Amino acid sequence: MKKNYRNPIGVKKYTGLLLIMPFIIGFIVFTAYPFISSFLLGLTDYNGIRQMNFIGAENYTRMLTDSGFHNAALVTLKYTVILVPLKLLFSLLTALIMNLEIRGIGIYRTIFYIPSILGSNLAIVIMWQFLFTSEGLANQLLEAVGLAPVGWYGDSAASMGIIILLRLWEFGSTMIIFLNALRDIPKEYYEAAKVDGCGRIRGFFAITLPLLKNVIFLNLVLQIIAAMQEFNAPYMITAGGPLKSTYTLGMLIYDEMFKYHNVGYANGLSWVMFMMIAVIVGIMSKLTGRFREEA
Amino acid sequence: MKKTCIYILLTIGGIIMIYPLLWLVGASFKSNDEIFTSWWFIPESLDFSVYKRAWQTVTDYSMGHYFFNTFAIIIPKTFFAVVSSVLTAYGFARFDFPLKKLFYMLFMGSMFMPAIVTIMPMYLMWSRLGALDTYIPLTIPALFAVEGSFVFMLIQFFKGIPKEYDEAARIDGCNSIQILVHILMPCIQPVIVSISVFTFLWTMNDFLTPLIMISSIEKYPLSLILRLSADSTGNGYEQCKILAMSVIGLIPSITVFALAQKKFISGITAGGLSG
Amino acid sequence: MKKIILLTAAAGCLTSLSACGGKTSQVTAPDGTLDKCTLRFSWWGGDDRHEATLDAIELWNKRNPDITIEAEYGGWDGWTEKVTTQLSGGTEPDIMQINYDWLVSFSQDGKGFYDLSQLGERIDLSQYDREILQFGEVNGILNGITVSVSGRGLFYNSDTYKQIGAEYPHTWSDLLALGEKFGSEGFYPLDLDAQSGGTAWYLAVVYIQQQTGRQFITLDGELGFTEVDIKAALDFYKELEDNHVIRTVDTRTDEDGTAALYQSPEFINGRIAGVLEWGSSVGKYEMSLSEGKLEAGPLLSDDSGNNTGWMIKPSLLYAISANTQYPDEAAEFMNFMLSDGEAAKLLGTSRGIPASKTAEKSLEESGLLTGLAQENDELLEQLDTMTISPYMELAQMKGFYNTAIEKISYNAVDTADAAHEMYVSIIDYLERIKK
Repeated sequence: MKKNYRNPIGVKKYTGLLLIMPFIIGFIVFTAYPFISSFLLGLTDYNGIRQMNFIGAENYTRMLTDSGFHNAALVTLKYTVILVPLKLLFSLLTALIMNLEIRGIGIYRTIFYIPSILGSNLAIVIMWQFLFTSEGLANQLLEAVGLAPVGWYGDSAASMGIIILLRLWEFGSTMIIFLNALRDIPKEYYEAAKVDGCGRIRGFFAITLPLLKNVIFLNLVLQIIAAMQEFNAPYMITAGGPLKSTYTLGMLIYDEMFKYHNVGYANGLSWVMFMMIAVIVGIMSKLTGRFREEA
Repeated sequence: MKKTCIYILLTIGGIIMIYPLLWLVGASFKSNDEIFTSWWFIPESLDFSVYKRAWQTVTDYSMGHYFFNTFAIIIPKTFFAVVSSVLTAYGFARFDFPLKKLFYMLFMGSMFMPAIVTIMPMYLMWSRLGALDTYIPLTIPALFAVEGSFVFMLIQFFKGIPKEYDEAARIDGCNSIQILVHILMPCIQPVIVSISVFTFLWTMNDFLTPLIMISSIEKYPLSLILRLSADSTGNGYEQCKILAMSVIGLIPSITVFALAQKKFISGITAGGLSG
Repeated sequence: MKKIILLTAAAGCLTSLSACGGKTSQVTAPDGTLDKCTLRFSWWGGDDRHEATLDAIELWNKRNPDITIEAEYGGWDGWTEKVTTQLSGGTEPDIMQINYDWLVSFSQDGKGFYDLSQLGERIDLSQYDREILQFGEVNGILNGITVSVSGRGLFYNSDTYKQIGAEYPHTWSDLLALGEKFGSEGFYPLDLDAQSGGTAWYLAVVYIQQQTGRQFITLDGELGFTEVDIKAALDFYKELEDNHVIRTVDTRTDEDGTAALYQSPEFINGRIAGVLEWGSSVGKYEMSLSEGKLEAGPLLSDDSGNNTGWMIKPSLLYAISANTQYPDEAAEFMNFMLSDGEAAKLLGTSRGIPASKTAEKSLEESGLLTGLAQENDELLEQLDTMTISPYMELAQMKGFYNTAIEKISYNAVDTADAAHEMYVSIIDYLERIKK
């Protein structure tokens, strides 16, 4: 049976294929090649230097009993589940404010993006220490309002909290993607809503949110991927501690790859991470009902 | 009244956002022990000679040389990334073609793999092609839409533009590329600005890939020079000089962002992201 | 669809090529002559080491215009990653500064680096004691030459000790007794840096080695301790915590975050009054305090005066790439860096106190051998030291030590369970990597 391609009249069926050519070539050279080589390495005991031996699925069976891996996977999932919704919410709210046309907003936009520019600057590591060590500002604040101080770095839950705070604070890119979308909403919509006696908050739920569907999904997927692959924040701030409570899958893969020279195992772990993200994003796509429309 | 509230909120938030930068600038004048014991940003004394030393670097070249190197990577890379991402996203968002579903799944999948596993195979490939210690491994991949998040972003925004626009233009005799350039790109101009800014900022901070691909000091980008002097294993080092270097290194990023921020919300408004 | 399969297959071939074909090149034998060439030399370090090394290279280039040296250097961050990748691609520099444990992680069979015994005419091996040369041997093959030797020593903040009115401890019991004295003022006589890979475990190992005479890990990578020894070491560590000699991991983490001890406000303001550190890198602690405050203390002995068990290792080595085209030239340059009197003066102690006799003498004559590193060196020389095994320094092993220490400190497990877990992990790991 001949398939019909739903293209505008006059568009050949290969036009789209031609347009995505950069991606196809890039995929073969820069994606498929390392992916396949990584998959093959995942079936070996390669240590980066020595001649490798094919060991079949041994790396994967090892994962079944590797409690370090189980812990890292759980930590990563927990981190993702807490961080992603908070970050989306915070970025969206800030973007709404940054979208206001008030004097000097450009300066605020720049200032609010500065944490993201700093990235993994040493200054952040030291600031976090001033904030969250036992004599730090956070505890002084807690004591000032009559609460008991917290041992942030030494406590499992609290140390997870401080890396989440770091990533929330570096929310700039997500905010900008929301800003890109917000400016597309015609002001007439709100004016019309006002005439209909619709308040600001109801306007947000009735007009803004539905129009942002695409972008919320976009940020959701990007943030899930970023959180599941998290490496830098715990590496800088908590070193994965205490007692591995912030030791993410990204850190485990990095350590196995470069510190412990278990290149084969690290590649196996990467494929498991790949599958985990694929499943989560797949579920999210299904839930938001968008996947088919895109493909 | 409402406005005042917003300004108060923005100012408190702004201080939280900018304080580490202020501290960084202040700390670049501090001694090692002052850096680690004082959260207050104003230094005990000001000695600008640290900036002179920072600018000179320990190498044969000044930081100016390394800025130049970084820009020699960033400018082509940004251009490549924008062109290749826009074309790919346009193809996915607006056309139907053989194997589209498969390619779309491959595309999504390419974002799920941690970047670190690609480093070693890519190194070996560039080594075979004789391209190590050049900027080719750092720029050429951008020609091929390798930054999946950009393509994904553009697809979402393309889909927000009503298809009637394309159809109208097609009736007027525009071909597919003309439609993209004259109709669609102006609508998503802010997104293109975002992508360019992200490429710029991420490349400024990129460390591991250039470290592995580039071995000649004179070809190092700035990000490598910023960490050239930090050796936690050895005999200690002057922290303030490293901090001063990173202050200088932040200037282009902050400038580029400040110049671009207006463009995130301006542009030709093209009726809604409905869809 | 066919196209895709074909392309995928093609990519697959490429992969297998690159993954297996990395090590086929032949080792170039020395030809006895010095030819015109360019050599790559790589090291990591801080500014002082960069400046000194660049000066020495300049001197070399002046003397040997035909053999140009290209310097490749950087900070420590990411350097192992860079070298690992280079070695796996066979594109490493001709001469490299390497870490002790790299000998076993990159050259298990002794073939990962050039066999330096073939270059004996170029490299003056008489500069080194037999024991020091042995540091660079893997599987009986000379892979690296020790640049400097270092051992961990005890360094104290003299101001705090004066303020408390305490003497530097001479024996383990002295040390344990100090806890109470310092604790009543909220101070600590010593602390062990949790972030630098098993400092705590190191001290406990010294204690047990002194008691039993057994070496924790032997040079060829066998576990010398019994499970009972490991438990005793962990018990001793716990005793240090319980006696308020050092901070618990929880307290340290709460107070400092993950900052290294030399960056900790508690150390800088004198509340932590002692550290255990390599003589070759104690400089960073000195820089955090104002001058003259830090002093080297005695290396501890038991009550009967037995002071064995302390350890030394090469802090750095130089190695030549097994893939170099110019072994003679590379060896000539390496020898210059190691034991040329003029170069030694330029290099100073930027890589620790030189192991080469000529270099050390040159520094001594120029009055460059002063400071804590030298004092610690002299203390160690008076003792009957043990050599640290490169296997003890592997990152994975440090992971085991840190895990055990952290777990017993948080009371997550008792010392017997922690010792058992560590014992099993080490046996298993050593067996796996030596396979």
